[in-house]
Amino acid sequence: MDMASSNLQAEAAGAALRDKIVVKSLDFYYAPGGAKALKSVSLPLKLGKVTAFIGPSGCGKSTLLRVLNRMYDLYPGQHAEGEVLMDGENLLDPSLDLNLLRSRVGMVFQKPTPFPMSIYDNIAFGVRLYEKLPKSEMDGRVEQALKKAALWNEVKDKLKSSGLGLSGGQQQRLCIARSVAIRPEVILFDEPTSALDPIATAKIEELIDELSGDYTLAIVTHSMQQAARVSDFTAFMYLGEMIEFDDTKKVFTTPRDKRTQDYITGRFG
Amino acid sequence: MASIYPARRRRNSMWMSLSVAAAAFGLTWLFLILAVLFWKGLAGISPDVFTQMTPPPGSPGGGLLNAIAGSLIMTVIGVAVGAPLGMLAGTYLAEYGKHSRLAFVVRFINDILLSAPSIVIGLFVYEIIVAPMGHFSGFAGAVALAILVIPVVVRTTEDMLNLVPNTLREAGAALGMPRSTVIQRIAYRAARAGLVTGVLLATARVSGETAPLLFTALNNQFWSWNFNQPISSLPVVIFQFALSPYKDWQQLAWTGALIITLAILALSVTARTLSATKRGEA
Amino acid sequence: MTETAMSRADMMTSRVEARSKAVRRLAGGDALFRNLTFAAAIIVLLILGGTIGSLIQGSLPAFKAFGFGFFVTDVWNPSDDKFGAGAAIYGTIVTSFIAMLIAVPVGLGIAIFLTELCPPALRRPIGVAIELLAGIPSIIYGVWGLFVFAPFLQQYVQPGLIAAFANVPGLNALFAGPPFGIGVLTASLILAIMVLPFVTSISRDVFNTVPPMLKESAYGVGCTTWEVVSSIVIPYTRVGVIGGCMLALGRALGETMAVTFVIGNAHDISASILAPGTTISATIANEFTEADGVLYTSSLIALGLILFMITFVVLAFARLMLMRLEGKAGK
Repeated sequence: MDMASSNLQAEAAGAALRDKIVVKSLDFYYAPGGAKALKSVSLPLKLGKVTAFIGPSGCGKSTLLRVLNRMYDLYPGQHAEGEVLMDGENLLDPSLDLNLLRSRVGMVFQKPTPFPMSIYDNIAFGVRLYEKLPKSEMDGRVEQALKKAALWNEVKDKLKSSGLGLSGGQQQRLCIARSVAIRPEVILFDEPTSALDPIATAKIEELIDELSGDYTLAIVTHSMQQAARVSDFTAFMYLGEMIEFDDTKKVFTTPRDKRTQDYITGRFG
Repeated sequence: MASIYPARRRRNSMWMSLSVAAAAFGLTWLFLILAVLFWKGLAGISPDVFTQMTPPPGSPGGGLLNAIAGSLIMTVIGVAVGAPLGMLAGTYLAEYGKHSRLAFVVRFINDILLSAPSIVIGLFVYEIIVAPMGHFSGFAGAVALAILVIPVVVRTTEDMLNLVPNTLREAGAALGMPRSTVIQRIAYRAARAGLVTGVLLATARVSGETAPLLFTALNNQFWSWNFNQPISSLPVVIFQFALSPYKDWQQLAWTGALIITLAILALSVTARTLSATKRGEA
Repeated sequence: MTETAMSRADMMTSRVEARSKAVRRLAGGDALFRNLTFAAAIIVLLILGGTIGSLIQGSLPAFKAFGFGFFVTDVWNPSDDKFGAGAAIYGTIVTSFIAMLIAVPVGLGIAIFLTELCPPALRRPIGVAIELLAGIPSIIYGVWGLFVFAPFLQQYVQPGLIAAFANVPGLNALFAGPPFGIGVLTASLILAIMVLPFVTSISRDVFNTVPPMLKESAYGVGCTTWEVVSSIVIPYTRVGVIGGCMLALGRALGETMAVTFVIGNAHDISASILAPGTTISATIANEFTEADGVLYTSSLIALGLILFMITFVVLAFARLMLMRLEGKAGK
């Protein structure tokens, strides 16, 4: 499948919805002059919808996600070429303020990453970076974020205890709450349930479903069932290329590319 | 095969017995030293040791009060100056410099300073502070100790920050935190127990240092709050009293040696427990 | 629907503006902190540079007065202002050499005992004890050596040594009397006891870098413990063990207080290791505060410079060795 037709597909899919982020011919390198980890990837993230990135390990799906909040900038040598437009603004612009970008594009990681502080502070900490709130208002923000992450009932009596004392699933929801609290526009999930048991996984998936609408979401997952359950759109990637992007239903029922078909039927990966 | 096996077994038992013997031999000496230290040192422990000044030559009685106080003051100031500098430099190595050429050089030099002879550091401080000022001073002693603290803290800070998982830094960055906030508020906090351990070990190391104090702080038979004057310290008093011909002084030297050893053992044990419980949690 | 989307967009723009202000505020502190850590890293280099620079400057008068002869003559005569570093350099090297001769085999033995033989319940306590002993200040070893060990050697060991080797050619010069108690041999033995915990704990750490699978494979083909140690553990960790021993040697060369008490402070090079001698660090510790005159002080500083150079080379070599082992363990 060539570039032009994959762009066409992308445009055709959900044309009625507004694009929050548009990725255009994105190349990515882990080292200067090294091999391309992403090859001319293009796709939109629709406003208020969930987009899933699937594909075999090493296909570049996490790499793509880490371009969207410029996380790769932490590591010297890695760089991206092409365009990533959020509301028309190019996120790859070198003069862009990364901290500001990351406050607008939140991220939840493979393993829960609670900070070594209390549950309350885990959430308040990020808020305090950008806003000076009186105590009562901050309390409200923390409660609201925890409710949004469906964690409030479990932790409301122990807000002062360490975030490290929670179970894995609770920790992951705490990380989601932390991200939600600073009111991002986009939230990226990098295999958010790969370290969790099935029950905790179900809770996170439910949560992603509830968050969609308010936020634009992108999720990297290696579970096709998960992609089918939570996402509105699915992008299949293979060897650094975007093979197919479409409505999730269409990708899983009538994939157009042979490779997509092989992958979702479990013939490789 | 069957014929060589007994020979192999004999050789094995011979070498293994030698290893056990080495362990027994080595440990015996080390514990012998401690035993004698306790036996001799305890004999001189009395309230006077902690309440009286060091005695003039030949007169009985007296204590180690001014020496203990001097040691405490110089150690505290040395650590207060050296530890923050060491932590900042260690932070540079672990967080900013990492694989840069400068970081490599600093790391290498720091490792050398870590085991460099402390008497040479004493000479250095003599040259840059004592000689220009024209007299020995507690200030110079504290500077010498600070210089000895730095490499220890640099090393532990870097090691401990390297143990903080990178995902935690990414999580901080993902919330829009600037690098310095991630380091100060998250990495330092996650590595807190290890950082404190490093400072405690550095304190333990310098509080027994004698050589660099000999010609920086010198000694003072009296109480001195004046940092611009020579100041007494336990190790230097032990050195001078042990080499003196007076029995009372020699006894005080043993007692001082016991006090220092106990203080250092307490610091190291605290440091170790701290890092052990931390590791247990994680 | 469109309307709410629009007003949401407005809200976002104003929020973004408020945040950019906050970000600008944070960015200043960010650069400041980075520069602070950078400056602190430079200070580490300045300490080394400053040490070398000031020692060179301080030792210039002595080098000018005595030239290269300073390194080889063993005259040390403050009353005539004649100084040579020969005896001190010789004493430093001999005491460290004898100390390593004893401490390395014993330390390796203890490390092998700890990693391969020791019952697991004892492994941690003994390991911790060794590390705690490594932290005991050297002046304690010195006091013990002066009051306990030297008299013991003088009374029970040295007469025996002198008698035993009296008729053996070569060795009788090495162990020539009288038994002073203090002297080169006593200093060497104290040094050996002092560096023993270093050698032990470094070798143990180095031995622990051997991948367990490698050892298990060797045991799997029926190797005895000694065969595993001698043909797997030691060859695998050789550079690390050498590095560790060099590190301990660096300590021994620069060690001051443990030696100063028991070496005797005599600027002579004598064949007998029972005779008093001196080392660089002991000379500086004993004489520096009493040194009067530019040349005397300068000669002592020159001794310090020589000591620093010797230990620098030894320690640099040690670090390079240890780095090679780390590189291997990293792969």
